[in-house]
Amino acid sequence: MELDLDESSLAIGRIERALSRIEKALAAQAERPASAATAPPPESSALKAEVAAVIGELDRLIGEAKHG
Amino acid sequence: MADVRLSIAGRPYDVHCADGQEDRIRQLAAIIDEKARSVQGGTEVRQLLFASLMLADETQEARGKVEKAAPQSDSLRAAVALAESREAAAKDELRAAQTREQEALAEARAAAEREAAALAELETLRQGAPVVPAPPSGRHDRALMQIADRIEALATKVEQIP
Repeated sequence: MELDLDESSLAIGRIERALSRIEKALAAQAERPASAATAPPPESSALKAEVAAVIGELDRLIGEAKHG
Repeated sequence: MADVRLSIAGRPYDVHCADGQEDRIRQLAAIIDEKARSVQGGTEVRQLLFASLMLADETQEARGKVEKAAPQSDSLRAAVALAESREAAAKDELRAAQTREQEALAEARAAAEREAAALAELETLRQGAPVVPAPPSGRHDRALMQIADRIEALATKVEQIP
């Protein structure tokens, strides 16, 4: 079964809300004392890789939508 | 040259004139003759004298009328020129307005066509029928949902970072 337009809008809404959560979490971390931020957690590089992968996927999707 | 015989106040006169002017000369002589005959009594010279005076009087009166009419004629010519100028300006404005109207109509028509096409496409999408050419919207929607899953998971991980 294919997704219709409403489900597409739902997906975009979910993405916007998740990005807002990430933004809030990063802002909260930035406000913490510097000592707590000196030791990056071990999964930090994995997170960065995942962020890069998601951005790449979004870019590919936007490119496909633009060029039909 | 042409020879013309005129009759004024009962006396014949033989005169010469340019070819083709005979009728004109006869017509003028008839006017003089009429004036001379209107003077009753007196000698022939006196009759001709009074005819000349009457014709001179009529000539002066006619000149006065022409001079009085000249300014009016000038005013009329100026009014006509002004009216023609305004008519030309109005025609130009009308043409410009028609051009603008045609452009606006064409733009409105194009916008209506675009709107109709968009509505038709939307209706097709609502009915679940394939769009021609069929865009990979379903694939894009699935990809969007997967990306939403991944970003939500990322958000959860970022929130769990101590």
